[in-house]
Amino acid sequence: MAEVPGAPTPGTCPVAVGERVGVRFRWRAPAARRCLLGYALLAPAVLYVGALVGVPFLFSLYLAMSDATVGDPVAGFVGLENFRAALESTTFHVALRNTVVFTVGAGVLKGLLGTTLAFLLVQPFVGRRVVRALVVIPFTLPIAISVLGWKWMFDSQFSVLNWALSRVGLIGGYGSPDWPVWLGQPSLALASVMFVNVWRGFPFTAIVLMAGLTSVPTEIIDSARVDGASFLQRFRKIIVPMIAPILFIGAAFDTVFTLSDLSIVYLLTNGGPDGATEILPTLAYNTGIRAGALGRGAAISLFLFPLLLPAMVLLLRTLRRRQY
Amino acid sequence: MPARPRAPRSPRTKALRRHAALYLGLVPFLLIAVFPVFWMAVTAVKQESDLYRMDVVPFWFHLPPTWKNFDLLFHRTSYRDWIVNTAAISFWVSLITLLTAVPAGYALARLRLPFAENLGIGIFLTYLVPAIILFIPLARVVSTLDLQDRWWSLVVVYPTFTIPFCTWLLMGFFKTVPFEIEEAAMVDGCGQVGALLRVVLPVSLPGVITAVIFSFTLSMQDFLYSLAFVSISEQKPVPLGVATELIRGDVFFWGSLMAGALLVGVPVAILYNLFLDKFITGITGAALK
Repeated sequence: MAEVPGAPTPGTCPVAVGERVGVRFRWRAPAARRCLLGYALLAPAVLYVGALVGVPFLFSLYLAMSDATVGDPVAGFVGLENFRAALESTTFHVALRNTVVFTVGAGVLKGLLGTTLAFLLVQPFVGRRVVRALVVIPFTLPIAISVLGWKWMFDSQFSVLNWALSRVGLIGGYGSPDWPVWLGQPSLALASVMFVNVWRGFPFTAIVLMAGLTSVPTEIIDSARVDGASFLQRFRKIIVPMIAPILFIGAAFDTVFTLSDLSIVYLLTNGGPDGATEILPTLAYNTGIRAGALGRGAAISLFLFPLLLPAMVLLLRTLRRRQY
Repeated sequence: MPARPRAPRSPRTKALRRHAALYLGLVPFLLIAVFPVFWMAVTAVKQESDLYRMDVVPFWFHLPPTWKNFDLLFHRTSYRDWIVNTAAISFWVSLITLLTAVPAGYALARLRLPFAENLGIGIFLTYLVPAIILFIPLARVVSTLDLQDRWWSLVVVYPTFTIPFCTWLLMGFFKTVPFEIEEAAMVDGCGQVGALLRVVLPVSLPGVITAVIFSFTLSMQDFLYSLAFVSISEQKPVPLGVATELIRGDVFFWGSLMAGALLVGVPVAILYNLFLDKFITGITGAALK
């Protein structure tokens, strides 16, 4: 495929003399035609996403301000009534509080564990690839599937965790007062669902951070060491500022994943015992689909939006930085 | 006898020590990551009466392993239907995603459209609009299309997250294909579309395959949509079917539950594992540049 510089191709516009050879043919088609083709190629994706994400999003704003139910498709406009009703109900307060505790608490734990793991995994050592492949298993298993495993491990009577704890003498036998019923006692239940979320999320934080750590040029660290910077100084002045943006990105994605996930709570406790693990996603599902109050459910799920917004704004800003 | 310096031994010892310390730090992480899967696997092939014994070490078998749990799964539940549904859903979702995301990614990366970068970011942002906000209005869409309680509803809905993600992924991929091969094709008489189909696409095959893999693995991570839209047993995909059909009231078929979960979960986890770096680059690429 010999490219003869300057050879005229049929049907092209004349090329300005002196233009770089590599650029020339990109401009072969007139700009208008190229744009037309471009937008035609974009159209299917944009239309699909617009029709099934954009429109439903706007529709959910409308639903939230209506008294629509599953049985009654003709909805009446009720203004902010659904939001007011939600804000006045104790169930909602509990769910909101649990959501914040869940997201923040699990987020901090994932950050700590993930950072530790990342620093271990960036070291060169024998068997690193195998260790890495094994340690990310929690993140790669489909979530509903691994939660089922946890449900079995948290079984009220045959929990393998309790067996182990009992064997090493930390708790008594089955039936003794200190036998933990992980999913049956309110505070334990919230801790348990958070634990499963942390279990699933820490490998994600770790690998995002690893990607960031390997992009910190080792020369910078080495030269700092030569200049006499202590480990703590190197850590604070070089490593932290360089990985902080990546940690934020990881945390932002993780927050979006965590806030929008209902399967852990739904499958382990379905909000129980007595609302102790109710979070906004389960409340929205149970109100909107189970009880059929579409308007109420939509309003509750929209309360997630202000919680999501900081994460999305952060991501938007870093994505924009990609412009060159 | 003169004291020999210990130095010659030290590089080796040092390396050993370093490894020991590292492994010591890693063991808790490995244990906590792998144990649940090991436990699920053991449970899947244990006999029922072997499951409920607290007097012996539960980590291994006290009665011979059995395939009975798999037998129940395949003969007394709709597991085979769930697998067929999952395969069909994955096929159609991948097809829809490719037909839309390949051209979109190409156009955003290559055609120098005005606002291309912002459009790309806009499409990717829709990946971040969570299912939990969309599932109630989408329930209306599904019922309008008369697809409720059919797996086809999931074929319609899953592209809402696979298209944004794969468009973004492919956009990055197409940017790495050198312009020269495309130009060479045009010199040889291809149009822009011809060049895309005959030259750029074959070269981008790894990217296209990655997009297919993610259409599959991301679809497998869904639980909410299938829970909300499909309630007939024969129409369910595997994760939903296993999670809802093997629990009857207070009776849990733990052996079959774990068998059904792992049978599909492990292949998905392996696939995802192999492509995990691409996923991470896909979502963080912007920050690392």
